[in-house]
Amino acid sequence: MGDVLVWVIWIVAAFACLGSGVAVISFSNPFFSALALIGNLASLAVLYLLVSAEFVAAAQVLVYAGAVMVMFLFVIAYVGGRADAPFEGGPSWQTLAAVIAGGVILVDIVIALGLTTSGRLDDEAEVAVDFGGPAEIGSVFLTNHLLAFEITSIVLLVAAVGGVILGSERRR
Amino acid sequence: MMGPDVSWYLILSSFLFTVGALGVLLRRNPLIVLLSLEIMLNAANLALIGFARHLGDTAGQVFALAVMAVAASEVVVGLGLVVALNRNRVPLDVDRLSTLRG
Amino acid sequence: MITTAWICLLSPLAAAVLITLAGTRISRRLAGYTATASVLVSFVAALITFFRLLDEPSEERSHVSTLWTWLSAGELEIGLSILVDPLSVFMMLVVSGVGFLIVGYSIGYMDGSDEERRYFAYMALFVFSMLLLVQSGDLVILLAGWGLVGLCSYFLIGYDQERPAAIAAAKKAFIMNAFGDATMALALFLLIQRLGTLEYGAVFDGIEGAGGDWALTLIALGLLGGAVAKSAQLPLHTWLPDAMEGPTPVSALIHAATMVTAGVYMLVRLSPIFEAAPEILDLAAGIGALTLLVASLVALVQTDIKRVIAYSTMSQIGYMFLGAGLTAYSSSMFHLMTHAFFKALLFLAAGIVIHALVAEQDMRRMGGLGRALPKTYAAMLIGALALAGIPPLSGFFSKDPLLAAALDAGAYGQLLWVVGIVGTFLTALYTFRMIFIVFGGEPSPFVREHLHRPGHTMPALWMAWTVGALAVLAAVGGWIQFSPFWHPISDFLDPVAEPGVHPSGLEDAVTSVLAVGLAVVGIGVAWWIYSARRAEVPRWAFGQQLLEHKFYFDELYDWAFYRPASWVANAAIDLVEGPLILGSIERLTEGTRLAATRLSEVQTGLLRTYALALGGGAALLTLVFLAVKL
Repeated sequence: MGDVLVWVIWIVAAFACLGSGVAVISFSNPFFSALALIGNLASLAVLYLLVSAEFVAAAQVLVYAGAVMVMFLFVIAYVGGRADAPFEGGPSWQTLAAVIAGGVILVDIVIALGLTTSGRLDDEAEVAVDFGGPAEIGSVFLTNHLLAFEITSIVLLVAAVGGVILGSERRR
Repeated sequence: MMGPDVSWYLILSSFLFTVGALGVLLRRNPLIVLLSLEIMLNAANLALIGFARHLGDTAGQVFALAVMAVAASEVVVGLGLVVALNRNRVPLDVDRLSTLRG
Repeated sequence: MITTAWICLLSPLAAAVLITLAGTRISRRLAGYTATASVLVSFVAALITFFRLLDEPSEERSHVSTLWTWLSAGELEIGLSILVDPLSVFMMLVVSGVGFLIVGYSIGYMDGSDEERRYFAYMALFVFSMLLLVQSGDLVILLAGWGLVGLCSYFLIGYDQERPAAIAAAKKAFIMNAFGDATMALALFLLIQRLGTLEYGAVFDGIEGAGGDWALTLIALGLLGGAVAKSAQLPLHTWLPDAMEGPTPVSALIHAATMVTAGVYMLVRLSPIFEAAPEILDLAAGIGALTLLVASLVALVQTDIKRVIAYSTMSQIGYMFLGAGLTAYSSSMFHLMTHAFFKALLFLAAGIVIHALVAEQDMRRMGGLGRALPKTYAAMLIGALALAGIPPLSGFFSKDPLLAAALDAGAYGQLLWVVGIVGTFLTALYTFRMIFIVFGGEPSPFVREHLHRPGHTMPALWMAWTVGALAVLAAVGGWIQFSPFWHPISDFLDPVAEPGVHPSGLEDAVTSVLAVGLAVVGIGVAWWIYSARRAEVPRWAFGQQLLEHKFYFDELYDWAFYRPASWVANAAIDLVEGPLILGSIERLTEGTRLAATRLSEVQTGLLRTYALALGGGAALLTLVFLAVKL
């Protein structure tokens, strides 16, 4: 019974994920695209929950969907993105070549994954209950992956500074 | 684990990645392009999280958080560029930014 | 003796090289003196060689001297070798002796020409080439000399580079001679294939075993082709009249005394080969007879004084071919010698006439020059009488034994004898037609206006004494051999080429009487028509047309060779050169430009295209790697 429920939730979340992804790239109005992306992020958060990554799911919703996408929406509203013909312009072969390239990328990934993980996808590891909880994440961040933590903070700092400079008016 | 095992998540992640790639290659509005980039990054995140559960190693989730932070930074810079473009009255069309024409 | 032979050969070459290298640093006169002196040195050396050769018993008079071997391929060894034997020494004397007189004459004739130095360098080079030809010790050197004289002839005919007619004549001469060179070369190839050697001695010895009849016939035919081209016999004769575009001394030296006689020399030198293919010998005699007749007929209507003499040369060499073809070798050579004397005399005296009339050569404008230029008239008269074969001048002694020999050569020979006798009448006729038109009667209006008598300047003196020397030679040169009674020349030359015909005393006498008689009749007819004007030239339109167009040989060759060749050339330009060669280049450039245009469309300048390039390229590469892994 529990398994069936998990499966159902997974299927619904997966379709929502893909559907909103396609919607992002299909809408001509950027506002709607941003909203679709929020939906995408939400369904991804559900998927994370299913895989015992609770902290990441929470961070996804709070940071990504809450902060980053809001910023996006601010800028879209400020810039006033008009609806434009989405797939036009460029040389005649652009669309076809892009679709083909996409297909090739998909095939690539599938094959690569298949090759590297051959036969090892069956045995799963057993995890504790608080596997993806904040305590676990925090302790790993501050012990094994301290360097990644520090560098990420620096990246964030640099991005903030860059954003301010980019956004400021030129001094005349 | 209950539910689908890791290979399903991987397949979903690859499809999502392809969708994001198509968006980057096909859309003209730079904002939409940035959104598509986000989709690609999220697809990678999904794969990371899936593997973290499969191998029982928290490092995957830690890495996914780092990716999220970097994605946020990149969005900040990208949006700053878009705002600067708009302020200089350059039309928001990737095709118009073509001073690289030979 | 060998040394003097080498000196004889190399002296004119040294002069040619010196004149060329000195360029404008020496005066034009000095170039002339250098050339003349070198040929004189040649003559003296030839004379010494001759006397040394006489010291030896007649069986041992053949010496080969090789300077070095320059080609050694398997069994074939070819070197720069010369042969000193009676025949070659005889030719050396004639070539260098007459050559000396003519080159000396040129000092006077060419005086004032801008490029005298080039002229004398070419003349010296020509004398060297001719000496190389006659002194050759094997067939390769013979061919080399053959080609070289053709080349010098081309240079000298086209000496006046400004005149298109001269250039065209030079080209014509060279091309026809090249045809002969080609047939000769083919014959030599066949000879190498059969015998593996090209030295005279070895070839003559091995002739018997040279393979079937047809091979020998082909070889002899190829060699005859070269002789016919070089000696301007039918059918390769059309270049000789045109060659008169060259300066008169050139006509005298090359186209009368020496180069055109090379064919006769070859017939005598290579007689063993020809005797092994008797049909070819008969063919040679027949060609000689035919040419003799045709040339005499055409000479009857010529209006250019030099062309009359040219056709006369063609005709006299026909006599020599006739004799050599019937194996009367020493008689042919003797006639070659006397012919060199009187023909050169005629040309050089004509040159004085042309000079006096400021380069006018058309006889119809001349007349009455006998009173204006008495000494020239006398010289030319001597030459004409010698040519007609009137005793006691040289032509009589050489021509009649030649004809008499034909009587001894069977039915075919007797037929040719008749042709030769008729030719004597025609020879006298056309020669004295020329004499009477040019020198007889009253001075024509043209002459009165333009005559410019040669004074006693240096140039004129050079012309005068050389012509005088030749006149003496033409007059008494024949006394060296009077066939049945004393014959040192035949004795000298017979060991080299044994004649196959021996005319009896009766045949000699009959021939002489007939020939002289007909010659006198010819002179009389000429006098009747042209001098005393007692009769008009008979009008026969068809005949006149035929003769004036020289039996339409030039037109025939134009139709048979020139037009097809130029058609092929034009077709090649239209079909091959244009579309294929030029077109391929054009298409190459078009293709490259097209490819470049298409490729440049990739650089759209759009971000999206570059993103596509990046992503798609990476994807493809990965695919390739994965495929390899799989």
